[in-house]
Amino acid sequence: MTVSVVRSMTETWPAPRNVFVRFRLGLVFGEPGNVAQQQTIVRDSLRAAERVTNSGQMIELPYRWRRETYPPPVGIVERVPNTSRRGPD
Amino acid sequence: MARWWNQLQSTVYSRLRWLPELYARALAGDDEELPLPPLASLRRPLAEATVGIITAGGVHLSAQQPFNMEDPDGDASVRIIPSHADLSDLRITHDYYDHSAADRDVNTVFPLERLRELARAGEIGGVAARQVSMMGHLLGAQRRRLVERSAGDIADVFKEDATDLVLATPG
Repeated sequence: MTVSVVRSMTETWPAPRNVFVRFRLGLVFGEPGNVAQQQTIVRDSLRAAERVTNSGQMIELPYRWRRETYPPPVGIVERVPNTSRRGPD
Repeated sequence: MARWWNQLQSTVYSRLRWLPELYARALAGDDEELPLPPLASLRRPLAEATVGIITAGGVHLSAQQPFNMEDPDGDASVRIIPSHADLSDLRITHDYYDHSAADRDVNTVFPLERLRELARAGEIGGVAARQVSMMGHLLGAQRRRLVERSAGDIADVFKEDATDLVLATPG
């Protein structure tokens, strides 16, 4: 599944399965640190693979850069701060 | 061409969304046509599938040889990144797009941590043992090298690791 941010490039040289998102080069999956946004683009791109019916088809994801509310992230491992202190000898 | 000049042009190219669109349209008439492969059927549902990543974003481990920025045709070699790689150990060497955001969070072009999370949540079956990185902007001899050699090597990696679905991302 190819994730594209340049529509004309993908229209000219498509892979068998393609999604297009209106983000830009270097920010294909979203903003740095925005886990919810990045997960959404990854999840929707993978799910689109199951929707493609013809080789070369391109599915456009509906997201704009900031005007969106993304589902809460899943699968996060909470980093537990190391609070252990050495006890009395 | 001096690297700083390429980097400056690439920053402008990356930040103006219409510019890559124009560039692709200009190239469309000149380039050779590549055959479009038939659609391969998915072997299993996403929740059971092993998913990998191939990025053209020039990502590599700090211990690996950086991509060659001296050849104006680019560098069609390939870097293998294991699924357990520490993201803080990844670097980007690629003068042909603005990767300042990806330098802060590599998931913007190489979403390995996002795949790990989806696997933990049971949305995908698992993360492929090996991911692949290369660089875009391949011309002339380096483009031929990609088609004639590197592409086959890349396919072998994912085939050997029984990867069901690969997310292919630009830089």
